[in-house]
Amino acid sequence: MKKHILAASLALASFSSFGAGFQLNLQGLRQLAMGGSGTAWPWDASTIFYNPGGLARLKNIQVYGSVMSINPTTAYGNFQGSSRSVQQSFTPFNFYVGGTVRENSRLGLGLGIYTPFGTGLKWDDNWAGRYIVQSIDLKCVFVQPTISYRLTEFLSVGAGFVYANGNFDFKAALPVQNLDRQDATIALHGNASGAGFNVGLQMKATEHLQFGLTYRSQVNMDLSGGSAHFNVPNILRNTFPNTTFETALPLPSVLSAGIGLKPLTNERLTLQLDLNYTGWNSYDSLRINFTDHTNSLKDMHAPRHYRNTLTTRLGGNYKISKVVSVMGGAAYDPTPVTNGFVSPDLPDADRVILTCGASIKPIKRITILAACEFVTSLKRDAKYNYGNFNGTYWTQAITPGIGVYYNF
Amino acid sequence: MKKIYTIGALACLFSACKPSVNITTPPTAGEAVFTNYMAIGNSLTAGYADNSLYATGQINSYPQRLYEQFSLIQVHGARDKFYQPLLHSDMGYPGPRKVIGETYSFCNPLDSSIGAVDLPYFSQDVEDAKANNFPVGPNGQLNNIAVPGIRVADYPVMGYGFSNPYAARFYHNPAGGTPLDELKFRVDNLHPTFFTMWLGANDVLGYATAGGQGNGTMNALPAVLNYYSTNDITPRPVFENNYDTAVQLSISTGARGALINIPDIKSIPFFTTIPANGLFISRQSLADSLTAFYASRNYVFQLGYNYFIIEDNAGILRQAVPGELILLTTPMDSIKCRGWGSYLPIRKQYVLTTDEIQFIDNATARYNEIIANEAVRNNLTLVDMYAFMKTLPAGQVYNGITYNTQYITGQAWSLDGVHLTPRGYAIVANQIIDAINTKYHSTVTKIDVNKYNGILFP
Repeated sequence: MKKHILAASLALASFSSFGAGFQLNLQGLRQLAMGGSGTAWPWDASTIFYNPGGLARLKNIQVYGSVMSINPTTAYGNFQGSSRSVQQSFTPFNFYVGGTVRENSRLGLGLGIYTPFGTGLKWDDNWAGRYIVQSIDLKCVFVQPTISYRLTEFLSVGAGFVYANGNFDFKAALPVQNLDRQDATIALHGNASGAGFNVGLQMKATEHLQFGLTYRSQVNMDLSGGSAHFNVPNILRNTFPNTTFETALPLPSVLSAGIGLKPLTNERLTLQLDLNYTGWNSYDSLRINFTDHTNSLKDMHAPRHYRNTLTTRLGGNYKISKVVSVMGGAAYDPTPVTNGFVSPDLPDADRVILTCGASIKPIKRITILAACEFVTSLKRDAKYNYGNFNGTYWTQAITPGIGVYYNF
Repeated sequence: MKKIYTIGALACLFSACKPSVNITTPPTAGEAVFTNYMAIGNSLTAGYADNSLYATGQINSYPQRLYEQFSLIQVHGARDKFYQPLLHSDMGYPGPRKVIGETYSFCNPLDSSIGAVDLPYFSQDVEDAKANNFPVGPNGQLNNIAVPGIRVADYPVMGYGFSNPYAARFYHNPAGGTPLDELKFRVDNLHPTFFTMWLGANDVLGYATAGGQGNGTMNALPAVLNYYSTNDITPRPVFENNYDTAVQLSISTGARGALINIPDIKSIPFFTTIPANGLFISRQSLADSLTAFYASRNYVFQLGYNYFIIEDNAGILRQAVPGELILLTTPMDSIKCRGWGSYLPIRKQYVLTTDEIQFIDNATARYNEIIANEAVRNNLTLVDMYAFMKTLPAGQVYNGITYNTQYITGQAWSLDGVHLTPRGYAIVANQIIDAINTKYHSTVTKIDVNKYNGILFP
């Protein structure tokens, strides 16, 4: 006889994870203000991220710090009603130190600490998609020691080793209710780490025309020993025991090509174009493996099938005077998430990005930067077949940021 | 369009504007008029759940859900309130409802499992037992006149309301009239403009839940006058005649409506939870001794799952064969501790054998033909619940929850394995809404199923 009638799975619905929305392109404020482009032109020490090959082009050692504030909001609607995510605020930061070891040296050294993936989404606990996600949060910091060498006046190369560390939090309702009709919940929390690299070629054809080519490797974030906490009715304590889990979250590779030029004879205007090819298709499924299993608590497996994307970024910097410059830019960032796989934990859609910014150099050696990014997704009629959860999503985010750098 | 986007984007930079998505459209009645909605049926329509009738079950009935959706419609939507013969308590009427609890094996107190138990603090609520003790409309209207247990066969039975405790609570003349008289009275009283009728399941279920003990050939003779035993399958002409009379009465005020057909019992957990091969043997010595015990019959038992030993309809002991059904009400202790299904057979009233299942399938098919014909002839919409529920064993995912026919974990069926949870009834209501919208070109909004509860755990 079946000993426990309560067999089968009180299905843990699923959950997905990261898409373009989790990839932050905020690693340098001047680049952010130019639509996120910066592969070709080594503006400052943030080239450690944008193109390690450009580091040997800096004239001296530079210390660079910046902080941003992201405030994304996602709206959801179906034929029965609509809801909006709870306002979340996230403050990614960047810190770089580096440059040529002494004036006119061919060797550049540096260290970057930056936030390439992150953000979160929190819905009302009782919203329609609560059995798929109530909140998700991911913060990822990369530490990248970098070496760069100027082979010739034309070509400079660079490479950095990436150590990544991140926190992962997830909460969803479980389809069992207590006598007060409240849903049970699952809460996952864990810390992940991984390693990768960032290499680049920087090419200076003339003073007015430069090129860049970089490859940032995939970083496999391994998460083990994460805590899985179940808040369930008493009678189900043994059915859903608190346990630990492990998973792997692949952060995708990015291949970038950029061109920068100064079209005007007065050299005040710099225009640049970047293309980013992101290898999202490495992310074909997500598995959560629990340490303890019961008839109802089984490992989760959610199919993804992300596709690679090509992002186009365009920006300009206009030097008004020796002290003040202004920047503007735009980008188009198509979603890696194919329809049928659009989960409300990351309701990703094609994004349109508009940016602006300014820099001032009040005294010698110090530059202060400010930038602002506005992102809107295109409204998407999305399907999530795995949880049969469909609807229309629209996401917007405004990201202001400030920063400063000092040249030694 | 692009321009508007850009301007909108720039405006957002300087103000705290938020994205919003609103794609709801106002529902419309189409060619239907939902002003006065009447629900006719049996326990499934009454909101019966967890082996009893109780107030919370009633207010989660599918007719209540339909009324709520109809009342969202501006023109020709449902008006006034939805009146049901509401009980006062959640005790259960007349017996206790089932709740989730721990059950202990009689022979091994350490062997506990989570399952359905009678409400432990049950005591009959005196208000529940009183007749006509519930709010009704200004003219005494009731919108939901479903009676748990009623069969199509019962409609012409004089004094039916006297014998059925649920009917006795609200029939205006329980002892001196028939269910058809009651239907006529309620129709004249409410003047329904729209009705749903879900009848017929009990004409076959009574036979099935009794383990196929009566006459399954559809040739049963009435026990008394025009009353057929609840253990029999109702004869086809009786079903056809009574069903047609009930439909004609229901449309006598010009109402439009939906006829809902009878589900396949094989998609109901009551019949599918205990598999015919549910005899689990964990030790080789046990398998060997059983094989030796049945050596004369050449039954061989192996480690793992084996077919139960059962008693067939003629009272003859044999091993079950694939496809046969063991009822959910089979006493577990008798299987675990008294050797039922192994050394002793599972009694015949807990077993549906192959021939009994054929009788049930045949009757269900004949009744559903009659219901389909009635729908066509009277220009009513047919809700094919038979086909829909056949899809449920595989599971239906709705907003992250998988609903299926698994007992308890499937979320749709209540603890009695026959009737539904509030979520299950909402799923049924959505099927009815689909059929209505197709037939009457209405746009009744579907229900957010997960808003209601499934099985509750202590």
